[in-house]
Amino acid sequence: MNWLTPEVIGLLGQGIVLTLVLTAVTSAAALAVGVATGIARLSGRGGRGVWRRAAVVHIELHRNIPALVLIIFWAFALPNLFPAGVRRTIFFDNFFINGLSDLTGLPVPYYALAAALALTLNTSAYLAELFRAGVGTIAREHLDAARSLGASPLGVLQNILIPEGIRASFPAMSTRLIHNMKNTALAAFVAVPEFFLGIQTAVTRSFRAVEFLLLAAVVYLLLSYGYSLLLTAVEQRMAARRVSAVFEAEKGWQPHRV
Amino acid sequence: MSEQLDFLIGNLPNLLFGFPGQRPGGLLLSLLLAVVAIAIGFLPAMVIAAGRESRYRPLRWLARGYVELFRGIPLILLLLLVYQIIGGSHFGLNLSPRMSAVVTLALYSSAYQTEILRAGLKAVPSQLVDSARLMGSSPWQLYRLIRLRYAFRVMLPAFTGQAISLFKDTSVVIIIGVAELMTVARAVLGSDIRNTPYWVSLYILVGGLYFTLAFSLSLIARRWERGRQSGDLVHSLANY
Repeated sequence: MNWLTPEVIGLLGQGIVLTLVLTAVTSAAALAVGVATGIARLSGRGGRGVWRRAAVVHIELHRNIPALVLIIFWAFALPNLFPAGVRRTIFFDNFFINGLSDLTGLPVPYYALAAALALTLNTSAYLAELFRAGVGTIAREHLDAARSLGASPLGVLQNILIPEGIRASFPAMSTRLIHNMKNTALAAFVAVPEFFLGIQTAVTRSFRAVEFLLLAAVVYLLLSYGYSLLLTAVEQRMAARRVSAVFEAEKGWQPHRV
Repeated sequence: MSEQLDFLIGNLPNLLFGFPGQRPGGLLLSLLLAVVAIAIGFLPAMVIAAGRESRYRPLRWLARGYVELFRGIPLILLLLLVYQIIGGSHFGLNLSPRMSAVVTLALYSSAYQTEILRAGLKAVPSQLVDSARLMGSSPWQLYRLIRLRYAFRVMLPAFTGQAISLFKDTSVVIIIGVAELMTVARAVLGSDIRNTPYWVSLYILVGGLYFTLAFSLSLIARRWERGRQSGDLVHSLANY
């Protein structure tokens, strides 16, 4: 095991941490944007359906362009739109970026931000479609019952459409979120020092391709497995909360006396 | 502005078909890689989907392990594993980047196709299976002629979705330098600092090319599925 020097372990450890952070941030953001897009996609044709159209454009655009193209576009191509001096101030050397660099220890935080944005856009487009399919499985009677009890449109959205839609589509969303975790490896293309770039660096330094690539495979398998366990736990918890909510509701229910 | 247009129009043939005088590349190669990988990947998928519901536990585990392995690691890592280790000099295979890309994409795709097929096999009505047995079909005939065909038809939307997804995933083979669309785009821009103004427009064009093909493929697939899925599956199979 003399190829696993303390220096390399440090490099890979930092890489794993960044991979986990990137996964967590993009998953949470993609879930929020995805659900919001899904709702916009389902919204009515009022106001010429601007929201609906915007949602369709977002979904189709970011589902049909590979994640790698999106990442390279936002990280490497976009800054080239500006002249050299301005480019430096906007993307690489300003108060916010420097603060982020000091805080995280990343050499170029802009690339990490751009990669996170690209992954969020890509994954949220898929999640929006899955959410829409999940909403489609909600029984009409459920919505009718809520409306006839006087629930406002916002109340229906908050209490039925969003929770039930997420619950119904969560198994499919989990698959996509795990895919998103694997896609964080693409950030290595734009010099984000996450785990895969760490592995590549270690290989070029030591020429031990076999050992490091097999190590990477094991680590990614463990990460996929761990993430799927976590998502299953979340899914079960949502199901349990739903059962207890129904139970609570029935406790308070009193038969009418005629 | 016209410089931008000239640059894009001048390079469009390269992006579509690869550089002149070399083997076909660009978008054409991306598409070819995906088509070949899906076709090759379907063969192991048929066998492994059967293995996943085998009577024998070791076979089930083996099939499960295959699927989890190829679905659990990122495609770029899989590409490097195949190109540098399996296709490297250790085993005396010395696969070319192009060959490694096809093998990797086929393995990757086969794991997904296995899971799709398995879901389809579960949906085969038991009456159909029973009546095929009564007609005296052997287990192999039953699997090949009845269950597999039924599963394939039921899961057609999932298969086309996976195929389009794989087409987009071919962009990742840039890491081993196969001359498909992404690699050509990188080569066109090169390391020339005078090309920096063209980065945004070129990547918009590249994204547009992927989008156009993937989106139109999905529209065609949707129309095709609608045509095939009409009518009773059992009867359409009986008239096969």
